Amino acid sequence: MTSALVTAAVRTPHIDVAGLSPLIALAVGGMLALLVGIFLGRSARNVTPLISLLAIAASIGLSIWQFGEGKSVVADALAIDDLTLTLNFVLCATGIAAILLSWRSRAASVAGHPEYYALMMLSLLGMLVLVGSQNLVTLFIGFELLSIPLYVLCAAEFRKEGSLESGLKYLIVGSVGSATLLYGLALIYGATGSTDFAGIDRALAGGINGDVLLLSGIGLTLVGLAFKASVAPFHQWTPDVYEGAPTPVTAFMAVATKVAAFGVLLRLFDTALVNAQLDWAPIVAALAAITIVVGNVGALSQVSLKRMLAYSGVAQAGYLLCGLVVGTQLGVKATVFYLAVYCAMNVAAFAVVIARERASEYGDELPAFAGLGRSNPLMAWPMTIALLGLAGIPATAGFIGKFYLIDALVDGGYAWLGIVLVVGSMISLGYYLRVIAAMWMGERSGDVTPVRTAAPAPAGGSAGTPPVMAGGSQEADAELARSSKLEPEVVGVAWIATAVVLFFGIIPSPLFELAGKAGSVFTGIF
Amino acid sequence: MAISWYLVVSALIFCIGAGGVLTRRNPLVILLCLELMLNAANLALVAFSRMHGNLDGQIFALTVMVVAACEVAVGLGLIVAIFRRRMPIDVDGIKELQG
Repeated sequence: MTSALVTAAVRTPHIDVAGLSPLIALAVGGMLALLVGIFLGRSARNVTPLISLLAIAASIGLSIWQFGEGKSVVADALAIDDLTLTLNFVLCATGIAAILLSWRSRAASVAGHPEYYALMMLSLLGMLVLVGSQNLVTLFIGFELLSIPLYVLCAAEFRKEGSLESGLKYLIVGSVGSATLLYGLALIYGATGSTDFAGIDRALAGGINGDVLLLSGIGLTLVGLAFKASVAPFHQWTPDVYEGAPTPVTAFMAVATKVAAFGVLLRLFDTALVNAQLDWAPIVAALAAITIVVGNVGALSQVSLKRMLAYSGVAQAGYLLCGLVVGTQLGVKATVFYLAVYCAMNVAAFAVVIARERASEYGDELPAFAGLGRSNPLMAWPMTIALLGLAGIPATAGFIGKFYLIDALVDGGYAWLGIVLVVGSMISLGYYLRVIAAMWMGERSGDVTPVRTAAPAPAGGSAGTPPVMAGGSQEADAELARSSKLEPEVVGVAWIATAVVLFFGIIPSPLFELAGKAGSVFTGIF
Repeated sequence: MAISWYLVVSALIFCIGAGGVLTRRNPLVILLCLELMLNAANLALVAFSRMHGNLDGQIFALTVMVVAACEVAVGLGLIVAIFRRRMPIDVDGIKELQG
């Protein structure tokens, strides 16, 4: 800034606009979507998502520009380093997917398009602040900026009781989580006298000597973040909120929130609290083991796919914690890698759930997927590959991700947790394969009467489709007619995510290189 | 006065808040209890700030107040929306989704 301000005696703080630009792009996009929405009437439904997509694309572009610079901005409160930017790529990709999936959703039109997309952008901004935070204050602001828009988004379909209920539940549970986190942060500040991660690290350099204040602080912080990452035993809200929220919001919440929560867990525990690693690692390991077991066993009995994916998300949070436990760079790299592939797999699965929910009478329940392999292979394949990936079958990125996590665990001396991970994956096949079996071997016949009355079949509704597919009854024909009208953006999201899962399952090196760059920002660990 | 007294009071308020969230059924009272939890943390922050002689904790506490206000605004909005839908204002009564 070479303006008159510089020559005057006033000292202006140095603002690194270039470093902040990925955040500014998201903030401006959110504001613009809101402002433009005022002047647009009905065209807001197409223009505001477009503005949001452009802003996210700009954020990705600016992240590529800033990649490798490794800056600390805003008085060292925010790190714009390779970890932040790598996770920003993942976050922005899931943001794009969520916006595309919301494009024709009922939630966006009920809530108002400008508000809906603006909230999504602001939540994304909060996630970016959270993964970059290097200061307890920034951490808390990012955490709340992520959460508060999500509470509203969960209740976006406010004419539906389930959506409102899920919003209120998420608000209460999320606020308990953030209050616990805040108390933990306050105690950490009290024990170390600094809110800065580097300052905390310096204060702990001499060991922690069983400092009760610090240990309770670490414990409460872990609990607060565990609420957000849906780590057992703080996961009970997850299935209810996921089921009640509009499905595009669920998809966004399931993937992006987890990235943000694990991003900050990695940074907080591997930089600020790294000297206390011997104290927190056993607790985190125990949480990981409990989460893997609880998530996988809980998913077994679910009929609703959204609930099943919620429990599966709990289990995946357990796998992701494994990378944190070891406190090594290998662990960080494995976690970042797994976060990226987890997002791709879940986005693909949720895209198919959204497509089925719009087409089928059964909503997101298992019968809606029966016989999908024959009636609609275009949607059945992404689901199959995504679920196989989540289970960790070779040739998918999920396998490589689990492989790296187990490698990190064995390397860090936690081989027993690796065994828990493998056993958990084995249990998980029980529910993933059930869906796959229903899709490829299930009968899609007219004898299954839908719960609600089907819309009357349009005359000649099945004229364009081969007669083999038609189930015989009118209802099945109507359903077939509707499900054959696939939204291109949903199919596109599903297939791109599937392609990512397969590509990194066969050629993982590009993503692992990226994760490696992200992992090497932590110089305090090896 | 020793710092420990402030911490004891703050911990007590936090526990009252947490207990209230767990046992109360009216969402409005739950929101009040959440405020108690956040303000307990604020008290601890300000006390620690005084103890360490730096202002970080006070700035943190100011930030928390802003955030808490946003959270309550959203919470009250949701409760109003639920009231308009004529759903029961009782968290035990709101159980369309089974946990």
